[in-house]
Amino acid sequence: MQFTKLKGGTKGKVNAMSLFKGPMHQHIPGHKDLTETKEVRVLKPQQWVYIPLYAGHSTDFEILVHEGEHVYAGTKIAVCNDRIVVPIYASVSGTVRGVQKLMHATLKTQDHLIIESDGKYEMRQAFAPLDYQRAGKEELVEFMMNAGIVGCGGAGFPAYMKYKNVKDIKKLIINAVECEPYITADYKMVQSNLDLMVTGVLAMKKMAQAQSCVIAIKKTHPELIKQVQEAVANIADVTVVSVPDVYPMGWERTLVRHLMQADYKRLPSEIGAIVNNATTAIAFGNALINGMPIIEKTVTVSGDGIKEPCNVRVPVGMQVKEITEACGGYTDEEVKLIAGGPMMGKTIVNDQFVVDRASDALTVLKIVPYKDVACLRCGQCSDHCPAGLQPVRIAQSLNAKDKAMMERLSVMDCIECGLCTYVCPSRLDVTENVRKAKRQMQLAKK
Amino acid sequence: MKFTFNPAPNLRQKQSTKRIMLELMLGLLAVFAFSVYFYYDEYGTDVALQCVLLMLISLAVALVTETLWALFTRQKLIPFLSGSFGWITAIILTMMCPVTITPYALGIATFFSIFIGKLLFGGFGQNIFNPAAFGRAVIFASFAGATTDVITAVTPTTLMATEYNWLVVDPNMISKLMTQVGGLDNLFVGFYPGAIGETSALMIMIVGVILALRKVIDWRIPVIYLCAVFVFASVIAITAGMSDWLWYPLFHLFSGGVMFGAVFMLTDPVTSPTSAQGKCIFALGAAILTVLIRVKGNYPEGVLYSILIMNMLTPMIEKATDGKQLVVRKKSAVIFAVIAALGAGCVSLAASVIEPAKEKVKEKVFVKLDDPYLSTLQANIDSTVDNGDGTTTYIVTAQGFAAVEGPNMPNYDHPTDPNVYEIIVNRSDNTVKSVRVTKMSDTEYIGDKVESPKFLSQFEGLSLASEFEIEVNDAVTGATYTTKSVVRAVLEVRNALGF
Ligand code: SF4
Ligand code: SF4
Repeated sequence: MQFTKLKGGTKGKVNAMSLFKGPMHQHIPGHKDLTETKEVRVLKPQQWVYIPLYAGHSTDFEILVHEGEHVYAGTKIAVCNDRIVVPIYASVSGTVRGVQKLMHATLKTQDHLIIESDGKYEMRQAFAPLDYQRAGKEELVEFMMNAGIVGCGGAGFPAYMKYKNVKDIKKLIINAVECEPYITADYKMVQSNLDLMVTGVLAMKKMAQAQSCVIAIKKTHPELIKQVQEAVANIADVTVVSVPDVYPMGWERTLVRHLMQADYKRLPSEIGAIVNNATTAIAFGNALINGMPIIEKTVTVSGDGIKEPCNVRVPVGMQVKEITEACGGYTDEEVKLIAGGPMMGKTIVNDQFVVDRASDALTVLKIVPYKDVACLRCGQCSDHCPAGLQPVRIAQSLNAKDKAMMERLSVMDCIECGLCTYVCPSRLDVTENVRKAKRQMQLAKK
Repeated sequence: MKFTFNPAPNLRQKQSTKRIMLELMLGLLAVFAFSVYFYYDEYGTDVALQCVLLMLISLAVALVTETLWALFTRQKLIPFLSGSFGWITAIILTMMCPVTITPYALGIATFFSIFIGKLLFGGFGQNIFNPAAFGRAVIFASFAGATTDVITAVTPTTLMATEYNWLVVDPNMISKLMTQVGGLDNLFVGFYPGAIGETSALMIMIVGVILALRKVIDWRIPVIYLCAVFVFASVIAITAGMSDWLWYPLFHLFSGGVMFGAVFMLTDPVTSPTSAQGKCIFALGAAILTVLIRVKGNYPEGVLYSILIMNMLTPMIEKATDGKQLVVRKKSAVIFAVIAALGAGCVSLAASVIEPAKEKVKEKVFVKLDDPYLSTLQANIDSTVDNGDGTTTYIVTAQGFAAVEGPNMPNYDHPTDPNVYEIIVNRSDNTVKSVRVTKMSDTEYIGDKVESPKFLSQFEGLSLASEFEIEVNDAVTGATYTTKSVVRAVLEVRNALGF
């Protein structure tokens, strides 16, 4: 353990020296050892599950079941009919008990469909499987859409969008980096679903008509690298690449920048790349082979605020309270409960919310009070911002209420990765200032 | 069970501003300790203690000023003091001053640094000028003469500015300069007087590297600044036509405040740009100004003003480098290149218009026989001896320097005694065969000058029948008087011979 930690400590120095820009990333102690070597616990909800009717930024759902109706795990219960099609499936067998507005992991209240579990977990194949080797490109995209595969990188954006109308794709990048501290769910998923992943990856490669495919894994996880390497050993054009242990290496833009030494404006496909998470590939593989959508999630429950940090496998819609109880409860009377990792996840002030399809972690941290001092103007925030922004200047523009300056500083390009707050030696809430500036810009646009 | 809300992210790195300041202080104190040792070694315990005393006074003034401010503005004292970092300013300011400064002047300057330089601007983080540099400028402007004479040695930079014009081409003068400062290696190691903390380039460099590695200071500023000073000084050296020029940029780097400024002052994050690109441009500008002010302005020190000027330009640089780093990078590279080219142009222009220092030709002073002063000196021939070989020896007593100093000057060995000379004359043609000093009562260092064979040989072969003049050995006032004493003695012999 000591050894891997030491190794991790030197990784932040990669490319740290550049005259006219900062490193644009930073090594963060990962604490992955808390959960990485432990068995995944399989948990079942006691009685109620609450399926969020939410996908990406869309909440306009048509509900396909009525109150009192019996459903199986895998029954389609709702579909979103916006521009973007996203179906939603039941995760347990039981009876529909209506719709309720509840706090969602994204901190907004959303409609949730309530299912009273019958405890049997009877499954029904949700749709017909598809042999990706025979299917055409269009057919695969359509299939991915109907299977409700959403990007598992937090935003929950439908995955098929990336494959519509793309051409000249050089590289399909499968992102198994997981750069947020504490989270190991991705690793666990990959380790136990290597076959599904390979199927998903190959289907994606076909959809993208990509020349080659790389699976990116952090250098600091040699075991995982070896396992995946063995799994793809005999497959042409699919290789494993190790990347430095820096945050946010798992962000599409940083990853593409590292692997392709190029930058793009809006989408990676501009420079011939498509990035998908490894868990998305697994979900897709599962859909193709078993005809099942994402109804279960592996979630890392970790941090110094939880008694027994571990990974759990739970149905979508299971309440967090039940999960944390199964993990021994909290270590303190007052903690921070974060939906997601400590960098980008949001603190939620109760534990009534549920695991959604895009959830991959619950981080529970003890309260550490920090005393802030005036901004030192050290520029560390600007040096490390992966989007190349200057948070300290943005804070100044916010103070001066100078919209033109905010515009010049490209405030809207902030991805709220949190790195600026992390590095700030004056302990200021730098990211929060950037968020405020973003909000002002949004208001001004309306 | 309580779940606390906190906007993401929920992790913090270890390094804090307080820790940065603490480590910076340790770095400064290490350099200071070296200086105190140097002063102890070279000038004794008193001078070393004087350094410590000055530091304590500055710290005390800083503390009192900040405490009063906190009380007047009704802020909580302890949090205010621990977040204001006045001690850093006090330490840097003290280290920028020579040990000869009066404690009074340093105290006032500290007050100005903290109160006007920082607090009035809105406190830590808001000030435009580096507070310590601001305070140092106050001393230059108002307390130039406020020095004590604990030590009186000349600093290398003052020497370079006053005697060598910051530009020497003549190899003889270069080697003379090098002996005066004890060689480049001595400059580098730092055994020479100067501002208290600025002497040891070596020590500052070591501390600087450690601080940069520990991310206490940004490496870009010192690296670019020092490299640029080196390059621009080299440009000057080459333009001015020095054949063996490497010493010149090194002299710039190792002398005065360049190293100290690079590591401890330009890197002050509050008063330098925040972006990496901005920092590069800032350091480059400071380097150009430092070299120009030294060479063209012919000041002993260009570092201080270059820092203050660049502090003033910081908001402009910030604005110029606003935007997305990957986009701005190209723009910054262009700005950087343009400024570098302009800088090179300016310094080479400066180098071609400045006169390199020349060996000063000393004016020759002669004593003539009609010098009115000669008649005020008394002289007397004590004995005349015919040597039997055609020469006569005269023993002559003549008043010397004592006549000017008066009989009651306390500090001299023989205040009232005249000097005694032995003068031998060839009688056949009335020429002087030799002049010797048998008793010299004039002050040491002054009387010596006439005892040198080179001086006395002027008399040999001198025809007493005609007028003559004697060149003074060294144009020091006293030496002139002693010379006149010798001439007076010879004149007495001339008179005796009837000319
Ligand atoms: S939160 Fe935004 S501004 Fe801060 S480092 Fe991340 S992208 Fe940059
Ligand atoms: S990291 Fe913090 S202290 Fe440094 S410039 Fe940014 S906001 Fe200011």
